[in-house]
Amino acid sequence: MSTYKFKTNINCGSCIKTVTPFLNELDNVDAWKVDTENPDKNLTVELDDENISSVVDAVKKAGYKIELREI
Amino acid sequence: MNQSYKIAGMTCAACAVSVESNIKPLDGVHNVEVNYPNQSAVIDFDEEVIHIETIQEKLKEIGYDLLLGDEVSVKKEMDQKDSNRLELLRKKLIFSAFFSIPIFVMAMFFMGKIPYENWIMLALSIPVLVWSGSEFYSIAWKKLKHFSANMDTLVALSTGTAFLFSLINTINPTLFRTDDMQHTHVYYESAVVIITLILFGRYLEEKAKSKTSSAIKNLMGLTPKKVTVIRNGEEEIISIDEIIKGELILIKPGDKIPVDAKVKKGESYIDESMISGEPIPVLKTKGNEVFAGTINQKGSLRLLATKIGKDTLLSQIIQLVEKAQSSKPKIQNLVDKIAGIFVPVVIVLAIITFSIWYVVGPEPKLIYSLISFITVLIIACPCALGLATPTALMVGIGKGAQQGILIKDGQVLETAYKIDALILDKTGTITEGKPKVTDCVWTEKEINNLYASVFLSIEKQSEHPLAEAIVNCLSKDFNEHVLESFKSITGKGTEAYYDGEKYLIGNKGLMLENLIDIPGHIQKEAERLKLEAKSVVFLSVKNRVEAIFAISDEIKVGVKKVILSLSNAGIDVYMLTGDNEKTARVIADQVGIKNVQANVLPEDKGNFVKLLQQNGKVVAMAGDGINDSHALAQSDVGIAMGSGTDIAMDSAGITLMYSDLKQIANAILLSKATMKTIKQNLFWAFVYNVIAIPIAAGVLYPKFGFLLSPMIAGAAMSMSSVSVLANSLRLRNK
Repeated sequence: MSTYKFKTNINCGSCIKTVTPFLNELDNVDAWKVDTENPDKNLTVELDDENISSVVDAVKKAGYKIELREI
Repeated sequence: MNQSYKIAGMTCAACAVSVESNIKPLDGVHNVEVNYPNQSAVIDFDEEVIHIETIQEKLKEIGYDLLLGDEVSVKKEMDQKDSNRLELLRKKLIFSAFFSIPIFVMAMFFMGKIPYENWIMLALSIPVLVWSGSEFYSIAWKKLKHFSANMDTLVALSTGTAFLFSLINTINPTLFRTDDMQHTHVYYESAVVIITLILFGRYLEEKAKSKTSSAIKNLMGLTPKKVTVIRNGEEEIISIDEIIKGELILIKPGDKIPVDAKVKKGESYIDESMISGEPIPVLKTKGNEVFAGTINQKGSLRLLATKIGKDTLLSQIIQLVEKAQSSKPKIQNLVDKIAGIFVPVVIVLAIITFSIWYVVGPEPKLIYSLISFITVLIIACPCALGLATPTALMVGIGKGAQQGILIKDGQVLETAYKIDALILDKTGTITEGKPKVTDCVWTEKEINNLYASVFLSIEKQSEHPLAEAIVNCLSKDFNEHVLESFKSITGKGTEAYYDGEKYLIGNKGLMLENLIDIPGHIQKEAERLKLEAKSVVFLSVKNRVEAIFAISDEIKVGVKKVILSLSNAGIDVYMLTGDNEKTARVIADQVGIKNVQANVLPEDKGNFVKLLQQNGKVVAMAGDGINDSHALAQSDVGIAMGSGTDIAMDSAGITLMYSDLKQIANAILLSKATMKTIKQNLFWAFVYNVIAIPIAAGVLYPKFGFLLSPMIAGAAMSMSSVSVLANSLRLRNK
């Protein structure tokens, strides 16, 4: 299992609600969390595999911006 | 957004106007249409400008309650109001009994012994009439304003007459007195005891009515109130209404599943008996669907919510059942007609009775006339008649739902009990519908592992339905190899090469064509298996058959017993199949079916139903609801054998949540029992009135000197409704 951090514009609780079904839907995502306190709105994702693009696609599909920060 | 909401607290048409005029001016509200009788409003509003909660707040200010949430919880709130009504009835009853007992005792045992007795009884009866009996008078008054009448009219008229007559006699004792009367007659006790008894009857009725819908309440109680979800990485306990689609839900051992969902992680057995009737818990692993209301056994699961609120299977079942419960079978139309003219007829009868007693009756004429007038009004209440059909339907259909038998409406029940022909599809109904390898015969005693592995590899590539059965059989013990070549020969089998050797799998024709040697004992085995109506597959390597596999679609457990019980109940069972005559016969013989139609194409099924109907049969047809929809619709009662997931089968009158022949028998038995109860109820309700009204009018008086007391009449009336209800409730235990 590996943890990845993304910079997003998931701003508030309501945005989290919007993004929830998209991230939950992913098979390889074990857990995720958005830190809305942080100005970068960090999304931390624990993945079963290395398929980062699935996360990026899901968040984009939900209508938000996302970019990988660090590994 | 344009949606309908339930609104509680509207008591009159004026309320509807008030609701409309208060919401309409709000920003973002386009239109409001209030439906007063339905206690609902359709609100068209812009979600981005105004939240429904704001509208709800506004309504609360003016005293109405807009019920939010899914239909299940709205229903629960409406139920709460029902139970409040029961509580009020109970209070009124106790209050009324408290005052009635002293009046009764005074009137029966101390008449003429207590000073000012009439005034005391008057004082005691006023509270009963004013509070406990108020609903009779107010409803009767409302009805009168619209020139209609109902049971309340009868009660109001009779108790009102008794009370007014007594009041006049109390104030002016000499007005109606004739020479042969020692003292003035008052009938306060009749008025209040009748009110008490009828309230008692209504209380029992309300209580029993809530029991008739208990099946639905049980279904609604299947979902938990609180749910643990993972939101933004944290575990949170939320109310079930707050679940959104795509939510991750944690399910612990013993938890109820809150919404329809997909398993994301974990595996566990889940008890689905409450919605499907299937008694054995089902294993659910990643990707499987789980349904709201079912109960997790010992494992832990992480679920992804797929359907919430009124979209869940459970909610759909509840909606279906409620709709069915409020439907009317044909038999009720007649009853409605009778009930509609019943009250006016009774009032006329009561007036005729009064007149006859007044003209030809003994002295004191006025007293006898009044008593019989009151008694006729009281005893002839049509409410037993009104309860007979709906209560039995509620119980019958509700009970079905609990067993996984969904009945579309009352009309289906009325037809289902007349069924004398039942058509079954062979595959999936009588048999499992999944071909399985039943016998493997190898030419050599030792099984050649290489051969078996290659056979498995070939069948893996084949798309033939029988190949799947062989794969399932072999994949347990053998591994796959990579084939050199693979070719499928349509209608015959497959040909493949591995390690330079030719492998063939197929029917006997394929073997003969390729000049493959079939050893004698294999040949004999093949003949024997054929006779058992099994499909025999030949497997050869090089020039010799190395094995034969017999494949059959096995008969479901217990089918024979069910078919026997159906024929004993006078129902002819027919089996339809696309198979050839010989195979069909063998299966039919095994389960005891005499009537077989082989080589039937799906489109011919409807015609066969028609043929039976032309011969005067009432035909039920059981099918999977997909291939058979035409035949299901053509039949008198279509029975859709559900897979437990899709209940939106419009062509079927009865939907079984899981495919078991026993359920068909249960459904037919249930409809018989329900119709029997309805008929019993109606019979007794009619007979009661036919016997009771003449007695109340005094037909027994000239010969036996017997005249019914109005109080006894009140008790009899109440008991007739209660007995009808009790009879309906008996269905639950059948």
